Amino acid sequence: MYISNYRRKCEAVFLFFLLFLIICAFRLIYIQIFRSNYLADIARKQHNLFAEIEPFRGIIYDCNMKPQTLNLPVDSLYAAPNMMSNAQKERAITQLSGVLNLSQDYLRERLSRKKAFIWLKRKLSLQEAEEVKKLKIRHLGFVRESKRSYPNTYLASQIIGFAGMDNTGLEGIELYLDEYLKGTAGWGLFLRDARQSKLDVYEKMVLPQEGMDIVLTIDQVVQYIAERELDKAFKAYNAKGASIIVMDPYTGRILAMANRPSYDLNEYKNVNKDQKRNRAICDLFEPGSVFKIVTASAALEEKKLSEEDQIFCENGAYRVANHILHDHVPHGWLSFREVIEKSSNIGTTKIAQMLGADVVYKYIRLFGFGAKLGIDLPGEISGMIKEPRYWSKTSIGAVPIGHEVGVTALQLVSALSAIANGGELMRPYIIEEIRDRQGRVVKKNSPHLIRRVVSGETAARVAKMLTGVVEEGTGKMAQMQGLTSAGKTGTAQKLEPGGGYSHNKFIASFIGFAPAQDPVVTIIVSLDEPRPYYFGGVVAAPVFKSVAANVVRYLKTKQAVSTQLRLNEDKRSH
Amino acid sequence: MRLNKFLSLVVFITFFSVLYVYQQSEIIRLAYAGQKQHAVFQELLDKNSVLRYSIEKNSSLVNIGSALSGHSDFQMPDKYQLVKLVPTNSGVTFREVSGSKQNLFARFFGLNRQAEARTVNP
Repeated sequence: MYISNYRRKCEAVFLFFLLFLIICAFRLIYIQIFRSNYLADIARKQHNLFAEIEPFRGIIYDCNMKPQTLNLPVDSLYAAPNMMSNAQKERAITQLSGVLNLSQDYLRERLSRKKAFIWLKRKLSLQEAEEVKKLKIRHLGFVRESKRSYPNTYLASQIIGFAGMDNTGLEGIELYLDEYLKGTAGWGLFLRDARQSKLDVYEKMVLPQEGMDIVLTIDQVVQYIAERELDKAFKAYNAKGASIIVMDPYTGRILAMANRPSYDLNEYKNVNKDQKRNRAICDLFEPGSVFKIVTASAALEEKKLSEEDQIFCENGAYRVANHILHDHVPHGWLSFREVIEKSSNIGTTKIAQMLGADVVYKYIRLFGFGAKLGIDLPGEISGMIKEPRYWSKTSIGAVPIGHEVGVTALQLVSALSAIANGGELMRPYIIEEIRDRQGRVVKKNSPHLIRRVVSGETAARVAKMLTGVVEEGTGKMAQMQGLTSAGKTGTAQKLEPGGGYSHNKFIASFIGFAPAQDPVVTIIVSLDEPRPYYFGGVVAAPVFKSVAANVVRYLKTKQAVSTQLRLNEDKRSH
Repeated sequence: MRLNKFLSLVVFITFFSVLYVYQQSEIIRLAYAGQKQHAVFQELLDKNSVLRYSIEKNSSLVNIGSALSGHSDFQMPDKYQLVKLVPTNSGVTFREVSGSKQNLFARFFGLNRQAEARTVNP
């Protein structure tokens, strides 16, 4: 009786466990077969972390491989508001507003969102990050990002441009070559531990494609000299704006390009459009007398005149249709050479009348005016040149002396380079090459001939006349000791918004090259509304002089040093 | 016989299971060790970037130019601040560059080439 009762109990327990085992088995089968995908998915989400791997943004170098941009590691601050208590939020708001220089309202608004992740401030300065870390506020964290930084602050700011918060190019080369610079982001499926910390063990990973480096034709030293001298004139004459371009006349390589007003690339958020604009290629202006080189070249190339042919300059007043044309100093008989040297408007107009509107227009276009030259920078404009059929009766007295035309500083310096190099119009370029992270050249720019404008003989004759402008004419303030130069001054009245020319707003300019024989650089200097002096020969020529003297000396020294280094290298290898 | 087979199978499976778990734990352990190394490496890289930036910024012409254009305390040394090193038998000796001292009479009546503005010795 006792045994049978015991046995029954044992069987009941056994059956209970068996039933339980069967239920477990079924449950396991159910989980393994029917729920496996769903549960594996949850487990994968818990243990894996998808993370984007930021690519390295390429560096922009000058022609001496000096970096103009760098990537600095910085911390960005985030918060997890859904995990913070109200007291924690209030403490964070009070403490962070002082350290991060953010308003309490802004922080309150950010922290009131019920999110697991929200940016409070991105790309903090080192000091800010240190101070926030010291506060030890819970549920705040840092993400390491890279910030684009510019060691040369304002140098070549309008050329280099800047990259924004997400390292995307917004201006200048940073924008123009963003595709090359930014690279492609990679990603990885990393393992996470129980504390949700990322481990460097990955299931899958696609490496980022690093951005490429850009080498510019700009020489940092030349750029600095150009900006320093331009800045002095810009401030001394209270100008509204100013531009300078230094170009290698034989290749079209831009050695320096600068504008004023300018800005610090590290502080790009606080600047206006005027400061960001690359006036040298984006602004058109009436060039005034510097444009006379086109008329002079046309007259010599067409063999209509020789340098010593006499032209009567009407003692300072000459009627063209219903308009009386004046010279700034009345002249009687002048030779063609003297017309250019003394910058006679009447003499130049008479030469243009002799040539005819079609010929003048033909040479204007040949010199590259009225069309984009194709520089590798964003925002280049083509200028404004009217076809002769749209000319008024007074146009023949305006266009040849640089009025009724709109040109850019880049077009002027390229045109003068054609005179300096023997008659060839070269495409200006500023990007020397693009390299990958291993230093292999991916793309290389080389000098490109657009067209021959005038013969070598004509170019040499015009160059000689321009040497006379500096030695005897209006450009005497560009004379340098121990270095010859050639150039042309320009003082153009500005157009008033309501029509007509202003009598107190001028554009003063000087274009020239040095040395006069076998030139090394072509330079344009232009100042917008300089005061109280406004003559190109007074305001812009001294800038040319300082820049040319320093740059030529620097380039010759640089060449001598590199030659010597090469010789030393050869000696060592032998 | 069957039991033996079963037991050896259990031992075999257990051994490989333990091996698998050990392998996984080793991966995690190595990941933590690597993480530490990587953090040190990243820290050094970051410091290198910051240093490079500082060097480039400080050696930039803009910085040097502005420092030289009156925003610095740099000044040329005056004569009395210079000494000349002269080699002698007993080694190297210092000699002042300021030249021979004039007596009071010579100071009053001596003709100097030009007036000199001297910096104040701090």
